[in-house]
Amino acid sequence: MSGGEKTEAKTETKYPWSNYTLKLGRGEPVSTTQYVLYAVQIAAIIILSYLSVSLLGPLSYSGISLFYFVYPFFLVFTMWWGIWGIISAYVGCVLGAGLMVGLGVVPSLAYSIADFVPPLVAFMVWRGLLANRGFDPLWRDLTEKEVAGFKTNRVGAWFWFILINGIILNAISAELGIGIQFQLGLVPGSAYWLWWAGWFAGDLLAMVIITPVLVKGLTNLVERQGLVNHGWVT
Amino acid sequence: MEKPKEEARASKKYVCTFIFSMRTGTPIEKLHVITKFLMIAAMSVLALYMFDIPVSKGGPDIIGLVLLLVLVFGLLIISRTAKHLVSSYLILALPVLFGEFFWWLFFNGSLPGAKIVFYLWPGFLPIGISTLVFVGVFSLVYYKLRSIGWSLVAGLLLWWFTIMPSSLSFSSATTWARIPIGVTYSFSLPQWSTTVALSKALGYGVLIYTSFLFLLTTRDVEIAGALRQLRLSFRKSFFVALMFRNLNTILLDYQDIKIAQTARAANVIRKSIFSKIIDLAQTSIPLVATMIRRSTETGVALYARGFEASKRVTDFKETKRLSYVDFTILAILAAFLIYEVILGHSITALFTR
Repeated sequence: MSGGEKTEAKTETKYPWSNYTLKLGRGEPVSTTQYVLYAVQIAAIIILSYLSVSLLGPLSYSGISLFYFVYPFFLVFTMWWGIWGIISAYVGCVLGAGLMVGLGVVPSLAYSIADFVPPLVAFMVWRGLLANRGFDPLWRDLTEKEVAGFKTNRVGAWFWFILINGIILNAISAELGIGIQFQLGLVPGSAYWLWWAGWFAGDLLAMVIITPVLVKGLTNLVERQGLVNHGWVT
Repeated sequence: MEKPKEEARASKKYVCTFIFSMRTGTPIEKLHVITKFLMIAAMSVLALYMFDIPVSKGGPDIIGLVLLLVLVFGLLIISRTAKHLVSSYLILALPVLFGEFFWWLFFNGSLPGAKIVFYLWPGFLPIGISTLVFVGVFSLVYYKLRSIGWSLVAGLLLWWFTIMPSSLSFSSATTWARIPIGVTYSFSLPQWSTTVALSKALGYGVLIYTSFLFLLTTRDVEIAGALRQLRLSFRKSFFVALMFRNLNTILLDYQDIKIAQTARAANVIRKSIFSKIIDLAQTSIPLVATMIRRSTETGVALYARGFEASKRVTDFKETKRLSYVDFTILAILAAFLIYEVILGHSITALFTR
């Protein structure tokens, strides 16, 4: 056994989530159930994006919401379904928080990059880095003391969750979203930081409240049904 | 093969679109979905460009934006979907447009030029156009909502907007009588502020109504059919169709869950914002669980119908060919884009020269 294989074997048995990696997938084509599920979850994110923006007002200003409750949904979906969750974040923003609230095609396509980046980076950080350091890439350690007999580090899980998703990626998302809208002439310069703060706070609040509810209620169910992606695609 | 498809499409009087429905046989319905997409994309590029022309280069193209807005409403009328817009988003979009106007009026202080005075209160109660605005808005909102509170808020807000500019509150043409009350409170803004703010509101109006033009006149299967025409595999185009077909179902699921929450007395006690957010979070579990269950069932149904084994599939009957009308529209849009964006001409400049 070579050195690389030894390390791989060691990490594969170390944690119950070691099969969730940054590989392409399980080495088998997408099944019909998965195929439908990936399409339906994109539809769900489109509707939730639309509701996130329109529930507070009939048509919110420039697709920016003060309580963007779809944010934790696409983060959790990305952790479950890899690239499909990332696609849903982008398409959901283009259609649900863009076109359907009247933002127009070009601004929607441009500012939705702000929703594409956080799930992409979060997926890579958890699956590629933190999973090998004892943190569950499906985020069950946020709410559970044990995952499949493995004692979790809840304080550490919350620390990384807030730092990476809530502060760093959320700030990047707000900067991209408001920055692009500013460049397109949709947000006035003097109101830049006001909208930036609204974006940041709206996403953070939703993420902290809804993610634990979603993870606790559904992750084990999704995993039991064999629907969690082992890699990016399947 | 083209004729039966045309007949199948013509056999229906109304077809379901992304939002509401559309009458078949209208010129907009006959357009190819790619043309419609490029049309609204070109319009949004034009709107973004027109309202962002710097003051040093002559300022926003207000007349161009008005023409674009008229064009969008014209297309909505031609497509016979204007009634859906009137009954839904036309009025709902107005607060957004007013919001846009005021954000740009007050948060755009870096504009050059002389300053003009606006009145928070002109020192008298003007009787004139502003009074008519108040009565009109109050009556309209009360007729629609049957709420005195909201009617008063909307009426007073718009009334206040009409007394703010000195050209309206101090002109004898718009103010017919004055009842002195209190002292004057005023502030000044750069002269260009109102022009820029108006152009932003008009431009945003173009963006909103072009988006709705697309959503009101496009069917999900048209997109799937167009993807097939673009030589995408059936699996990929059906994936897109599946996604769009589930939008309505998921919205209905969400509404059912909210009704179930209400039936379980979720709204009986007046709750804090935080509790309402928790309620919202609680809808996520049944929503996602239903989504997974439905996906599994649909997956099994597709499998049972030989989805994985099928080699030859029937094309979507809604697939159309690009006609000369499509090409003409695309050519006009391209010419308009070249004139305005590439060559840098302004329609307003044509009238003000």
